[in-house]
This record gives sequence, structure tokens and C-alpha cells, in this order.
Amino acid sequence: MQSAFWGFLALLGLTLGPLKPISAQGTSLGKGDLPQNTPVRPLPTGVILVKGAWASASDSATPLPEGGSLADHIYSNSYFGLTYTLVPGWTQKNYGPPPSDTGYYVLVQITPADPSTRASLLITAQDLFFTPTPAANVFELIDSSKRNLEAYYQVERPPTPVGIAHHSFVRFDYFSPVAGLHWYVLATEIRCHLVQFIFTGGDAKLLESLIRNMDQMSLPADASPVAGTGDGDVPVCVHDYARAENVIERVDPVFAENRFNPIPVRIIIDTEGKVKHIHFLSAFPDQAKSITDALSHWRFKPYLRDGHPTEVETGIMFGRERRPTAPFATGPNE
Amino acid sequence: MRPATLVSLLAVLTPFLLPQALLAQTDPGVQGGPARAGGPLPSVNPNDGSLQFFQNGLGRFLEIESVSNSPQGNNGLGPRFNFVQCSGCHAQPTAGGTGAASNPQFQAISNGFVMGSTNTIPSFVTANGPTREARFPFFFDASGNPNPDAPNGGVEDLFTVSGRSDAGTCSLEQPPFATAQQTNNIIFRIPTPVFGAGLIENLDDSTLLANQQANAQNQFGISGTFNHNGNDGTISRFGWKAQNKSLELFAGEAYNVEMGISNEIFPQDRPLPEEEMSGGLPQNCLNLSGAGYPEDTTNFSAATNSSAQVARARAGRSLGARFGGSFSVDQFAANATIPSDVVQFAMFMRLLAPPTPSTTTPGGTASISNGRALFQAIGCATCHTPTLGPTQVSSLTASLSKAPVNAFSDLEIHHMGAELADNVSQGGAGGDEFRTAPLWGLSQRIFLLHDGRTANLLQAIQAHQSNGSEANQVEENFNMLSPAQQQALLNFLRSL
Repeated sequence: MQSAFWGFLALLGLTLGPLKPISAQGTSLGKGDLPQNTPVRPLPTGVILVKGAWASASDSATPLPEGGSLADHIYSNSYFGLTYTLVPGWTQKNYGPPPSDTGYYVLVQITPADPSTRASLLITAQDLFFTPTPAANVFELIDSSKRNLEAYYQVERPPTPVGIAHHSFVRFDYFSPVAGLHWYVLATEIRCHLVQFIFTGGDAKLLESLIRNMDQMSLPADASPVAGTGDGDVPVCVHDYARAENVIERVDPVFAENRFNPIPVRIIIDTEGKVKHIHFLSAFPDQAKSITDALSHWRFKPYLRDGHPTEVETGIMFGRERRPTAPFATGPNE
Repeated sequence: MRPATLVSLLAVLTPFLLPQALLAQTDPGVQGGPARAGGPLPSVNPNDGSLQFFQNGLGRFLEIESVSNSPQGNNGLGPRFNFVQCSGCHAQPTAGGTGAASNPQFQAISNGFVMGSTNTIPSFVTANGPTREARFPFFFDASGNPNPDAPNGGVEDLFTVSGRSDAGTCSLEQPPFATAQQTNNIIFRIPTPVFGAGLIENLDDSTLLANQQANAQNQFGISGTFNHNGNDGTISRFGWKAQNKSLELFAGEAYNVEMGISNEIFPQDRPLPEEEMSGGLPQNCLNLSGAGYPEDTTNFSAATNSSAQVARARAGRSLGARFGGSFSVDQFAANATIPSDVVQFAMFMRLLAPPTPSTTTPGGTASISNGRALFQAIGCATCHTPTLGPTQVSSLTASLSKAPVNAFSDLEIHHMGAELADNVSQGGAGGDEFRTAPLWGLSQRIFLLHDGRTANLLQAIQAHQSNGSEANQVEENFNMLSPAQQQALLNFLRSL
């Protein structure tokens, strides 16, 4: 019977072979071992080969929020115009997850090489076009963190404007008595993103010294908790610019399969009203392709700044709409 | 030994022993004593029939299935399967749980469930290792190596019915496990416990979404999303990747995939993914029960109380005696014999109470309480949400209505990093995304993480940290705790 079965499989293979999308394993089924003299090509370990909804972009030249890098003890992020010099002896142990479908980024996590030093720095960004938490600006967003702080934390410093590296930030400190850990949060807005520096540790003096080190950081000119909409070198960011009154031509994407996931997309619109760049924060490859095809047909009214057409960056949510929350901001956010 | 000598000895040894004692925070391990799980929800009672249905479902959960001519359970086992009994895999600490210390799959040949002439025990199934299912993340290419461009991810059942006296001429071979191991193209999953599953099922999506929004502004680098049912777009929540919407779907899939029994939700015998690509199962391996498909069905004639059905009801009665059931074979018990196994599996899970945590062991009340506070403070609770709810109003039984769900899970899927990634995509979950594992009942779990790779809780916690993981910052926070604080946190977790 066994040989009859293999014969049956072989016959099927001859019959269906050209139609098979993937090589079926009639030859290896049940063998338990590779055929003799076959070079073994094992899969790598510790590598994410099968990705779900993931970040991607229409080109590789335009900087992306998640595209920062750490080299020679300097964290650089071209998208945010940010460079941060690490304290000596600190390093990145692991890189973070991909951007989320709520527009949340782990930009970099830095920890002391010496594990006895109880501290860490986490730099994150939240795309304000897609934030699940309604707020009019970064200050309000941090204030909402304070209002929603669990009772087991103690507020050490309510959200307060501070100056860092000649820029305006909002600072919020809290403490866990049971863990003996402080959280010092410094936030500003860059290109319609909340950019946060979150210092965690048990030694308040150490954390303060780390914050002083932030003064060596370089930031774009307009970084501020209530502005940060892009300066002369980058497109101006405008919430909900893709609303109906600004769209001249529109083709909706056609998805082969409805996966019901949110697909947050940032686009840059050129001075002629065409989509110049697409950044998918979270999309399956087939979804990204469908949206790319559709957006190639979109035409917008050029965004005017001081009467002149200007590149503009905005966000569109495809796929599953979130339950409505109060908008981050309505209309241009300059 | 004289007291003075003892004091002197301690004085000499203390400098050597004390640092060890202080630094060696350890997993308290599986807690002994009563199971603190396995019974029905408090409102389940014999007067409305819910207890009879629970007991009937439990009875079916315990049945050993056969290919044909079953003396006790259902027919239709195989032709491929991982085990012959729900409670064989969902065994620890009692029926409805997860894998036991003694792996029944290892004894599948010696117990006669599988014929050794046509099956071998795969090397990754060991006597005291985790009860497992295996999957090949990728199809193999023509040369026998995995093809990363051809995702597979389907379950590769461990055993075949071939050689069993009740399996006719069906002759199948096991999947190429050795090749898969040699080429690193195999991953494992262990059984998820189903205690309290009815509460999870009865959470409205709005509750889950509100919890997600409440946690959105965390300072731990955590985001998370939901897996969705492909048919109606609502949040799915069962399985390691939250790929299943409901308990009935979950039961139907498991009956079909893990035991090879077709049913009203999955009405065909399931070939391996490779067999599916090659034309499906051979004809002489189909309809082995001889009764047609589906092999598990609604029992249309059950109300007549045939001898077999009465026997089933009686079996349920005897099994239910420990839950205070002193009922007779009444109409409720007869009614409970009408639904299919899948429906009754789901009902059993739905009415199964959640585990009861301990407030005293291990480590004592103060340590557990402190550990819980630390668990929340350092961010574990952002994903492992202590309480969701309340549940929606239930039409089944009062305990499912407006109830808190203390599962320690947000039921979201999260990126868990390259080291935990299994490169299997299910629904919207990618190869590195997993549902936040509910932690209730952790006191009694032996094997941890999705594949049971460790039985050590501290190692399981540390495995949350790797490239691409949302938990990296929380891991750093955990590392900042003192050994005593870490021990309290471990004690808390092993109290659940």
C-alpha cells in the first residue's frame, strides 16, 4: 500500500506539477531526512522572516521616522532632524518593534553597558495624525498622561514647559514608590509627531545629569510642544489635508482581501498637488500596493504658504477606521 | 551540636551564603495543593440545565476517540492527529488546562493509540517535556530545503492512524520532522488553558478597544493591535495569535486539526498542508468511520434516550459528582446529549470557571501584594491587563454577565521580537506577533511561552526581550528591580 501511495503521489505530481504554485513534498513526506548529498540550507535563527502588517515606503531616499541610526555613540534621525550624543558607556541593546497602526514608534532604546547602573533612555514618537488619544497639541497629550496616571504613581513634576538645547519642551516627572523608579518625560513636537525622551531609573541625580546631556542635542528650529509643523527644509505638516475639499481627483484602493486592520499612511504632496512620497506605517504588502496604485491617481489642491505652493505632509487612514475621537487638530496646523 | 558551635559556624558561613540568598531570585515553580481550577462557574446549576450541559461537555472532553467502532467516544479519529483525547493535552492541573508533566504523546505507541509499525515518536516529544503540536513555517523546495518565499505555517500532525486495527488500509507516513529540525523549519505550540474562556468570549469589542485606548499613552514603548475575524471584522481572541473568534470555532478547529475529526464547522478530514497542495488525502484514508461526514454531528435522535445516549448522560453524571451533582438522568441531561461534541466542548469551556489565585502562597501575602504592585508599576500590566470588563450581559448563565475578567491579558497581539518569533502568520498576526498570554492559572502551569521552551518563569520573562520586541523597555524596568523585588514579582505570578 505504501508504494501504491507514493506511486499515486508521483502520478499526481506528473499530472499537476505545472499547476502547482508551490513545490509539494511528496518526495520528502515521511522520509525524515534530507535526500543524500543534498546540501542543507537551514533557516537562520532569530530572524523575523514572516512579517504581518509592517512599515514600508514608496521610495528609499526620503527619510522616515523609523529610519534613525546609532553610530559612533550618536543617534541620528534625518526625518526628525535630530542628533543625540549618547552618554559614554551607554549603548543600544536591542532595536525596537516596527511602527504601530496607532502611529507609535520606538525610535531607540539606550541603556548603560554596566548593568549595575539602574537607568535607561527610551526615545519614542507618536504620529499626531493617528493618535488614539485626543489632544490639541503635545502639551495637552502629556497633560492627558498625567491625568490618566495610575494611582500607584506619584507625580513629582506636573507637565511644565522647560528649555532643552535651546528649544521648548514639556517635562513631566513621576515616581513609583514600590519600585523605587523615577520616570522623567521630556517631549516636544516635530513634524506633527510627539517626540518623547523617557528617562527611567532609581537615581534621580543620574537622571538629571542625563537630561543635562540633552543640551548637546540638535533639533529642527521649530521643535516645540505647541508647534513643530516643519520648517523650511521639510514639508509643512497639516492634519487632515486629504479632506474632500482639497482633493480634486480620487481613486479608492481595491483590496483583494479585507483584513480589517487600520492602515495609517503618511503622504507628501508636491507643489503641483501630486503624491510625491508614501509612507505606510503599518500595512500588508498587498495593501501597500493597492494603496500606492490608487494614490498615483489622486490630485490635491496645492498647499499655499504665504501665497506660494508648498510641499505638504498629511495622514490618511485606510482600512479599518478607528472609533471616532476628538480630532488632534482641525485644519492647517501651522 | 552545641548552640555556640552552631552560631560560630553560621558566622563563618553567612558571608558566603547570604549573597547567594539575596541574589538568587528564583521561580517558585508549580504550586502544589488543590488545582484551584476545573469547576463550573458559580451560577451553573442543575435547575436550569447548565450543570448538566457542563457535565456532559466535560464527559466528552474526557472521552478517548477512535477511528471506528469506538466503545466510548466518537468515531472519526484521524487519519492524522496529535492526540486522541481533549483532556490528554489540556490536562494540567486538571481537564481544561495545559500540558501535564508526563507527556501523553510520548506514550501514544505504548498505550496503543498509535501503531509503532507505522509511527515513531518524534524526537521533540519527550516523556516529561511539553505536549506539543508542530508546524513548518515554510514549504520545502524540490531539494528538501525550506523555501522562505513559500510560507506554510499549518499544523503537521504528529501521528497517523495507519496500522491501527480500526483504520482499514489507510497508509500514511508522518511528516518529515527530522528534515524540518535539520533545516530549522519547525516550530511548536503548546495547549492553551481554557479556564475562564467563557468570560473572555463574552467581552464586547468596545471594552477591548477602550482598554487599548487607555493604555495608548504609556511610557514603556508598547503599542499592540487586535487580530480580526476575517468574516465580520470583529476582534478575535482565542489561540496563541488570537486567531479564533469564538469557542465553538476554536473547538471545531481543534477537533479537526488536532484529532482529525470532521465536524459541522470543519466538515472534511484535514490533509497536511503539503498533501493539500498535492491533491488531498488518498481515498482509502477517507470516511474511515464508515458513517460519512461530518464525523461529529448533532444527535437528532438523542431525545429518545437510546442506550448509548443514556450511557453518555450517566458518564457525565459520574464525572460531575465532584461538583455536587446528585442529579438523575433527567430531561436536561438528555437534552445535553443532543448537540454535537464541538458544541458541547464549547459549552464546557464557556461554563468553566477561571482559576482561583492564592493570596498566601508562594512567599506570603505581603510578598504577593508587593509583587502585584511591582507588576503594575514597571509596565507588565500594560499588556497583561489585570482586569478587563465587565462582560456583556449573558443569556446563558449569570456568572458570565457583567463580570470582571481577571485574565491578565489585553487580548491584543504584540510584536514579541526575533527570539520568540515563530514565523507563522495567522489572520492579521505576523510571524513575531502573539496574543498577550492570559496569566490566570500561572501557578499551575509547567511549560511556558507559546512553545513550552522553558519551565522556568524567570527565563520566560527574560525571553520577552530581543530585537523587535515591544516588551524591551519593561524588561529593562524589571532588570532595574532589586533581587528581592524581582522575587516578589515572581511570587505574585506564581500565586495566580
